[in-house]
Amino acid sequence: MAYLSTTDFTQDKDFIDKWLYTIRTGEMDLSWMKSATEKISPEEANPRRGLTYRDLNVGTYGYTDIPEKVRNNRSYAPRGAEIPEGVPDAQPWVSRKSELWAFNTESYYEEAVSRQWNATTDIPWDRLDGVELPEVTGKALSQLMTFLTEVEMIATDTPAMWLPRLNPDFIEVRAFIAAQAMDEARHAEVFRKRALTTGWGLMQASPINEMALKHLRDADSFSEMSVALHLVAEGNVLTLFRFSEYLSPTDVDKKIFRLVMQDEARHVGYGMQHFKYVLEHFPEKREVLHAHLDEAENISFAGAAATELTEAFIILAGGGLKKENIEQGIKVTTQFNLKQMQEHFERLDKCGMPERRERSKLYKMYEMGRAAAENAGIKLN
Amino acid sequence: MAISFPSTEYFEALKAQMAANEEKFRRLGFIDTTFGVSVGVNGKARNFVLEFEVFDLKNVSEVPSIDLKKVDFQIEGDTRVWREMIENIRRNGEADSSHDINTLAHFGEQLKIVYDDPDGHDKLYRFMESIQEFFDLSSKLEVSFN
Amino acid sequence: MAFYADKDYTVDETVLMAAQKVMEGNLGLHWYNAKTERIAGRPSDSKRGLTYQDLNVGSYGYTDIPEDVRTSQSMVSRGSEKVGKLPDMGYVVNRKSDVWSDNVAELYEEVKARRWVPATDIPWTELHTKPLPHDLEMACAQLYTFLQECQIVSMDFPSKWVALINQDFLELKSWMCAQMLDASRLFEVFRKRALFGGAGLGRASATAEQGLKEWLWADQFPQGSVSINLTLAGFLLTLYRQVGAFAPTNVDRKIMRYAMQDAARQTAYGLGQLRYHLNHRPLEANAIEGYLDHTEHALLGLIGSPELLEPMIIICGGGLEKAQVDKGRIATAKFVRLAVKEYMERIAAAGLTGHAKRSKIPAMIDRISAAA
Ligand SMILES: [Fe+2]
Ligand SMILES: [Fe+2]
Repeated sequence: MAYLSTTDFTQDKDFIDKWLYTIRTGEMDLSWMKSATEKISPEEANPRRGLTYRDLNVGTYGYTDIPEKVRNNRSYAPRGAEIPEGVPDAQPWVSRKSELWAFNTESYYEEAVSRQWNATTDIPWDRLDGVELPEVTGKALSQLMTFLTEVEMIATDTPAMWLPRLNPDFIEVRAFIAAQAMDEARHAEVFRKRALTTGWGLMQASPINEMALKHLRDADSFSEMSVALHLVAEGNVLTLFRFSEYLSPTDVDKKIFRLVMQDEARHVGYGMQHFKYVLEHFPEKREVLHAHLDEAENISFAGAAATELTEAFIILAGGGLKKENIEQGIKVTTQFNLKQMQEHFERLDKCGMPERRERSKLYKMYEMGRAAAENAGIKLN
Repeated sequence: MAISFPSTEYFEALKAQMAANEEKFRRLGFIDTTFGVSVGVNGKARNFVLEFEVFDLKNVSEVPSIDLKKVDFQIEGDTRVWREMIENIRRNGEADSSHDINTLAHFGEQLKIVYDDPDGHDKLYRFMESIQEFFDLSSKLEVSFN
Repeated sequence: MAFYADKDYTVDETVLMAAQKVMEGNLGLHWYNAKTERIAGRPSDSKRGLTYQDLNVGSYGYTDIPEDVRTSQSMVSRGSEKVGKLPDMGYVVNRKSDVWSDNVAELYEEVKARRWVPATDIPWTELHTKPLPHDLEMACAQLYTFLQECQIVSMDFPSKWVALINQDFLELKSWMCAQMLDASRLFEVFRKRALFGGAGLGRASATAEQGLKEWLWADQFPQGSVSINLTLAGFLLTLYRQVGAFAPTNVDRKIMRYAMQDAARQTAYGLGQLRYHLNHRPLEANAIEGYLDHTEHALLGLIGSPELLEPMIIICGGGLEKAQVDKGRIATAKFVRLAVKEYMERIAAAGLTGHAKRSKIPAMIDRISAAA
């Protein structure tokens, strides 16, 4: 599989001689000084925000004018540079802007860089000293954390594996994806660390959820990957984090969920803005995305069988295993399940796919679930 | 009262300053390295070992000679160079572009970095911003040179 | 490539029944007595916080990961109980000695602690209050164009491999994600510096990119790692130190100080990984030597590229006057020598002590020094 450079530089006499000559005489060719590139005078729009990619969105260096199909750069040259003969082909798979672009991509990236946090030092781990959770709560929390470590693992690998396949001209998306990979590594870390501080350790893997997660990774196109990962899965996870924060048994857990929520909201934000962008700029893709959503929603159905997660959630929500705890837990879990589905369809509406409700079996399930919940006196706002 | 250079007191004073500026060093991140500082005075050397851990200088000691296997690297130089650096820091509030550690040590012509393991050597650069800010704290000290 | 669920769950009665049963209050609790190790980890030093090193315990630790990971192919977090039919994720890097380095956990903790922000940590406006002479600014724009090319490749390497590496090496995979962000941040700072200076970008380098692609596309991880994490990162580390020492502005000096921290971490992994690989697989020494013999010519392609060499001479000399160019070419020749010396030191420290003798590079560098 290895690539070989077009030249072996130890054997390239012209190259070496020129180098020696430059060093010996100081005579330089300086042809790069005449590069046919644009001169620009960018300014910081807001000095408190510093110098951002948006400030550099000017002319050939900017992202606004990236064409729908990138035809001129397939190398490792940064956008806007002069590209000489002889550069290699980076073999990008994705050179079509609407396949990956999102409104505001650059600001999601800048936000990610400025809001990085550290699971080691930003969580008050010391406060766990002396905290003795009841066995049932401790185990349920550990089980939830175990599931989340599986989720976050796929959330690192999936964006990361697409990164080198994206045309280098899509700087801001690549940057966002790199930041996401780091965010997810930190999530896997913080959930693992929390599981390993409960006194119980990690618990049991979730085969059905892992199958679902594999679906996220192995998509045929970036856009399909993004709709399943950023919009559906991370949307669900965002709702899960919000509920988990609410149910957190300690303030350490609350802090963890607040911090991961920030990152997750950013990922979902990118997902929504991309979805909107692709629907607007690549209308032929709509049917492909519907078909992919059919599969993603099928996986969401399958998730209902992951009782190791539902049960842990019921216990955390109800505060124990007594009858009244379980009843309360089921109530909250029902609200949570419905909320996840409700928000899923709200996001799709907002992005320009309101017809999804007609087509989706999940939506029918949601309507039935909602009616049943209301009959049982469970309100959803 | 002025603190004389080179001396353990000088590094102890920087250590106290580092602790007093904890927020800044926390922001720069973990600094986990033990390195030597060797100051040539009239053909002899006075040697110090500085042990940094987490965000702090944990320990300073003066030793007869530095065992390169026990430190990550050693910065050595004549007292004249160190003095010029410290006085420059004092004047500017921080080292100017000709007097930061990297510039002084780059080709080994003024300060010199010696090491046993290149992995230890690279720690100078891994923690460069903290190490530079540490020496820049000299601006807050009154230093005398004998 | 698409992976589809094994059935249509929307019509699968067993799923609905399972869910319904639980939601009626009949909890099976099959997970409740998971067969895993009990642990209540705490920070060993509260100031440092809770690190991965603190959790390097028993079945959860990384020390006891076996050399051959044969029984995990899914996304199960190391130490959890594996049950049921878990998916095979198709990992192709399953030997610890192919990826591990003893400093992995340390580097991951360090990279998070030492993060920085190009938008706000660099005093950008100084570039406008004290603009550089035209030629010097053009040289900076060219240098930073070249450095962006290097960072695209540095970003692609970990991302290209990470999903192929077994999930049991989770600290290592986390470190690779951090490398992606590091590379992205360096790309960002170099781009911002070039464009904010007003001279635009310069010309990409065909020679450098050819070499970079050869390194990036190495067909095995240990080989690619030695090229990207040790050779390229080590070379860039020396370059950042050089530009830092000859920095034309305070902005450049500040950028280089952050850049060297990131490059030095990457180099520490590159050296540590090669060391680990050779310690655990001494028979691979020949293969790595052979690989280096074949590919380290790309280092020459990189350093000798006019798109790097010429702006370096101008920056190190301070301009295009004869005396400046003389100063610059001598400083650049010294830089080349230093970069190669340190490269050879690292290769030797990793275990290939005889490499400098057989390599073609040092002789070339002697010719460069003699020319200066
Ligand atoms: Fe996440
Ligand atoms: Fe996420």
